[in-house]
Amino acid sequence: MARITFKAVTKRYAGDVVAVRDLDLEIFDKEFVVLLGPSGCGKSTTLNMIAGLEEVTEGELWFDDEIVNTLPPHRRDVAMVFQSYALYPHKSVYENIAFGLRMRRVAAEEIDRRVRDAAAKLEISHLLQRRPSQLSGGQRQRVALGRAMVRQPAVFLMDEPLSNLDAALRISMRAEIKHLHTAMQTTFVYVTHDQAEALTLADRIVVMNDGVIQQIGAPDDIYERPRNTFVASFLGNPPINYLDGTIEGADGAVSFRRGGMRVALPPALAARLRGSPGREVKLGIRPEDVSRHGLGAETPAMEGIVDTVLPVGSDRFLGLKVEGCDVFVRVDKQAHHREGEPVRLALVPERLHVFDKASGLSLLADGAP
Amino acid sequence: MTAITSLPRRAARFGGPTYDERNALVLIAPLATVLFAVAVFPILYSFYISLYGLKLTRPHRVPFVGLENYVTVLTDPQFWEAVGRTAAFSVMSVAAVAVIALLAALLLNEEFPGRRVLSAVLLVPWAIPYVANALMWKWIYDSNYGALNGLLYQLDFINSYMVWLGDADKTLALIANAFVWKEVPLAVILLLVGLKTIPADLYAAAKVDGANALQRFLHVTLPALKSSFALVIVYETMMAIRHFDLFFILTEGGPGDASHVVAWRIYVETFRNLNFGLGAAMSYILALATLALAYAVIRALAQRI
Ligand SMILES: Nc1ncnc2c1ncn2[C@@H]1O[C@H](COP(=O)(O)OP(=O)(O)O)[C@@H](O)[C@H]1O
Ligand SMILES: [Mg+2]
Repeated sequence: MARITFKAVTKRYAGDVVAVRDLDLEIFDKEFVVLLGPSGCGKSTTLNMIAGLEEVTEGELWFDDEIVNTLPPHRRDVAMVFQSYALYPHKSVYENIAFGLRMRRVAAEEIDRRVRDAAAKLEISHLLQRRPSQLSGGQRQRVALGRAMVRQPAVFLMDEPLSNLDAALRISMRAEIKHLHTAMQTTFVYVTHDQAEALTLADRIVVMNDGVIQQIGAPDDIYERPRNTFVASFLGNPPINYLDGTIEGADGAVSFRRGGMRVALPPALAARLRGSPGREVKLGIRPEDVSRHGLGAETPAMEGIVDTVLPVGSDRFLGLKVEGCDVFVRVDKQAHHREGEPVRLALVPERLHVFDKASGLSLLADGAP
Repeated sequence: MTAITSLPRRAARFGGPTYDERNALVLIAPLATVLFAVAVFPILYSFYISLYGLKLTRPHRVPFVGLENYVTVLTDPQFWEAVGRTAAFSVMSVAAVAVIALLAALLLNEEFPGRRVLSAVLLVPWAIPYVANALMWKWIYDSNYGALNGLLYQLDFINSYMVWLGDADKTLALIANAFVWKEVPLAVILLLVGLKTIPADLYAAAKVDGANALQRFLHVTLPALKSSFALVIVYETMMAIRHFDLFFILTEGGPGDASHVVAWRIYVETFRNLNFGLGAAMSYILALATLALAYAVIRALAQRI
């Protein structure tokens, strides 16, 4: 049982480096929360504050109904998996996994039972007598997971646990970690800079930048309704395209305009923007939100010249020049476009994103400017 | 690719060394010559001497005596007394160096104001030559105007100046003290290097695992220091067993034979009694003993790394 609450938490390192600023976050019991953001945005710092490895400079950190600001790590009932795995190099795999239990004076038979149980689940039973230096990266990863699992902690913390693995292993381990969460029934807080990992694993994603939370929400929510251009750009690969332009209102219809391009906006947006013709905005179009089909006179569309064609097995990516901007889109593989050829693609109105040009804030979000 | 490059090499094998091999030999030759002259030759030559009855007091007669010099040394009870003193001196010195250096290294591995200054100061003894160090301690221990007497007298620990090095019970310990002072800095550096290689994550992991400061030291720091520690102990043991300068300058083996260690005995036998054959035999015994000891210590400490 553990609900973790940050109340206006700021973390300042020596030399006035503000790593985390005014963080408000509630992580529910048994939830899988992913802290996502670029390197240096304060993810590890946030995780280390939960672990008790870093002190909270200002604000309050709660575990359930208790303030834990000054509680040392070993009294917090947390277990942690490090990016470097941090296995004790001179101890056997067995002793590495058992160490946390030994420190807590768990009975020897119980330790043995739990270690063998975890090793069996992680399929490393045959490695128990080896040293970490005799293991592959993937095996070390499993030992690190095992060391955390046997503790049966209330909170399971992971700091970029997969980033030292090769691509294929990384993807298969995602599924295992998801299983682990289901099996263990505890709160998971997981740090990564890999948006695909976050989208796959999380119940909720916390997107951070420069020590400040940008958005909190379910993966679909964050992907479909990013609150600002940072979030929109950080999630999705290849990333979202932006076209700078202005809002035009004529005869009750509201549209986005850039040069000769005009895109009629859906009613929800139109209602918000009716009063501000001439406003400078960014139109956000995700690469997959275009279609070669359904082109009618009324559907919003985008015209451009094919610049590059990149076939990638299942799909085909096109680099387009649209009104002087580079736009990258995904089309089905039946599309046979040649470089230099003009194309016209339909846009899905509900999937368009419009951001204020100056602030980068989404004009779709609640409380938008 | 491989076929092409291997062709000339195979052809060359029939005609002696290749161009590369010849070049390598030419480049190695100067250093090999120097090494042979200053290291290999003396080692071989001193072994050769140890098999003869070479005494400069009767230089015209140098009989071949085989291993007789070795037998003489090993059956001489005075030699074994010297061995006992060398062992006592070495154990005292190495133990003190190891403990003090470990504490100092642990201290200097922490962040605190003045750490850099303290590190610099700690290195001073290292920079002092052995002979200068010995002369400095001779002055400190001096019975008439020594700093130790002055300090203890002013602090009222002693009522009158003491002849420190004249006390047979204290001599070895006082010489060991001077030796330790000189040797600690290098040991600190070796241990500090070992400490710096321990990843911070290991301490974080141990904290989360519930280890307290002492347990973190025992389970993370100490095992990681094992190889540095082995190095310190082997190196310092070798230095202590063979140490000569302090015995020469501070006591000349005295008072009586209280500091008559093996290294001093070799000097006396060779350069005072001018019995080169016996001196060489003793040197060889000391060298072999040092090697054997170093090997044993390395095996014992580094076996499970
Ligand atoms: N021990 C420290 N001392 C000073 N600054 C630190 C320390 N640890 C991290 N920082 C700084 O805090 C910021 C956030 O770091 P971190 O939480 O490690 O980021 P992330 O894990 O998201 O990459 C960075 O600017 C980093 O340089
Ligand atoms: Mg990090």
